[in-house]
Amino acid sequence: MADFPDHSGALAALVGQSSGPIELSPDPVNTAMIRHWVEAMGDTNPVYTDHDAAVAAGYPGIVAPATMLQAWIMRGLKHTLDLEAARAAGNAPKGDANSQMMALFDEEGRTSVVATNCDQEYFRPLVLGDRLLVKSSIESISDPKQTGLGHGRFATSLMEFFAVPNDAVTKDLTNEQLAERGALVGTMRFRILKFRPGTGAVAPKAKPPRPRPAITQDNAFYFEGTLAGELRIQRCTDCGALRHPPLPACGKCASLNWDYVVSEGRGELLSMVVNHFPQVPAFDYPLPIGLIALDEGTRIVANLAGEPGDWTIGDRVVAEIVRFDDELALPVFHHETKEA
Amino acid sequence: MPLNLTTATVAVGDQAPVLTHTLSRTDLVRYAGASGDYNPMHHDEPKAVAARQPSVFGHGMLSMGIVGTALTHYVGVGALQTFSVRFARQTWPGEELSTEITVTAIDGNVATLEVKLRNGDGEEKVVGQATALLGAA
Repeated sequence: MADFPDHSGALAALVGQSSGPIELSPDPVNTAMIRHWVEAMGDTNPVYTDHDAAVAAGYPGIVAPATMLQAWIMRGLKHTLDLEAARAAGNAPKGDANSQMMALFDEEGRTSVVATNCDQEYFRPLVLGDRLLVKSSIESISDPKQTGLGHGRFATSLMEFFAVPNDAVTKDLTNEQLAERGALVGTMRFRILKFRPGTGAVAPKAKPPRPRPAITQDNAFYFEGTLAGELRIQRCTDCGALRHPPLPACGKCASLNWDYVVSEGRGELLSMVVNHFPQVPAFDYPLPIGLIALDEGTRIVANLAGEPGDWTIGDRVVAEIVRFDDELALPVFHHETKEA
Repeated sequence: MPLNLTTATVAVGDQAPVLTHTLSRTDLVRYAGASGDYNPMHHDEPKAVAARQPSVFGHGMLSMGIVGTALTHYVGVGALQTFSVRFARQTWPGEELSTEITVTAIDGNVATLEVKLRNGDGEEKVVGQATALLGAA
């Protein structure tokens, strides 16, 4: 495994720090966003959309769904795009504890992230006109742990939500002052796992076998050959022309008489494609496939070893007969090394 | 605050009505807009495939929200006090997701409920726990 630094000390220093300044929700709790939310959820409870129904149910008016808590303070796409543009221009705003923590995780090789837990507390339902503020901090960072997904650390952020009436928001008051006047209406703890990709403890699922070729009288010699470790190429016994893939008749003289030669498996890469889609679980991706001009004089389509970027048209190649399972072996072409 | 359940009407072992929702790509788009979570893994198929995912997949918080819908239908919006979930598996478009909510403890006027969201094959997508206030008998 690559050598990664251990930032335990620097990470411990971030625990308890606020992730950034207190933020004010862009909009007060409103019916339009509630309607979008309940429609996405398939929630038909009328207390979220119908004032009279909400009053009849005992609420002062329309209330917001409890799990919508965090949505009120999400800053949306524009904010994310602005941030990405700033980063691309080298003006990344830095310094808040959360981005410091993420950068330290990345340096430790923990570049993959997955959300693992969300805990919410609700102290009262949110009503139309509530304006939310959120105070975020890093509550805990775990020691490194081996998890099913990989070697990682768990980090829990704590968000405390305060509400003030929308008309209390004026330019004279800072977010901190507003939050002090507000009521704590809920909390949310969000736990993530940042882990090193490819270090999971869980063995990957067994791959299904490669698709079987349809074996015929004409091509059986070829697949029997690969199973015997040979790359057999069909030859017309009348005119001597080689042909591949196997066919009943010669394309040059139409003779039905043939045998085969055993190719050295050496040649030149004439062309290639990379199969991105559709992906079949039996194969590894990216999947480079080459058209090879064999030195003996015909062409063959076969898998290329390695990554697509390893290959250039005109490369000298040599076949390795790879046995995929008891029933199937096929040539895979590698770069020809100079030793031969 | 309205409380749907009272200490007289609820008992350990009671189950909330099951809510079933078949997840569509449109739901993911609607949820992205409603929640402000525009992570492309949830709506941009080419980006999700490039990240070696079979397709776009559901927001974890959308799964939590679906369970929350069934929970608040059962206990009442103002009765829900805490709600915690673990995101066990990703959700995929086309999956039929069903809630499973069981009262596991009653302590005074507070009920504890175990919650799950499963797909049609029974796979657990989220598992968690909630507490809700009960009205007086």
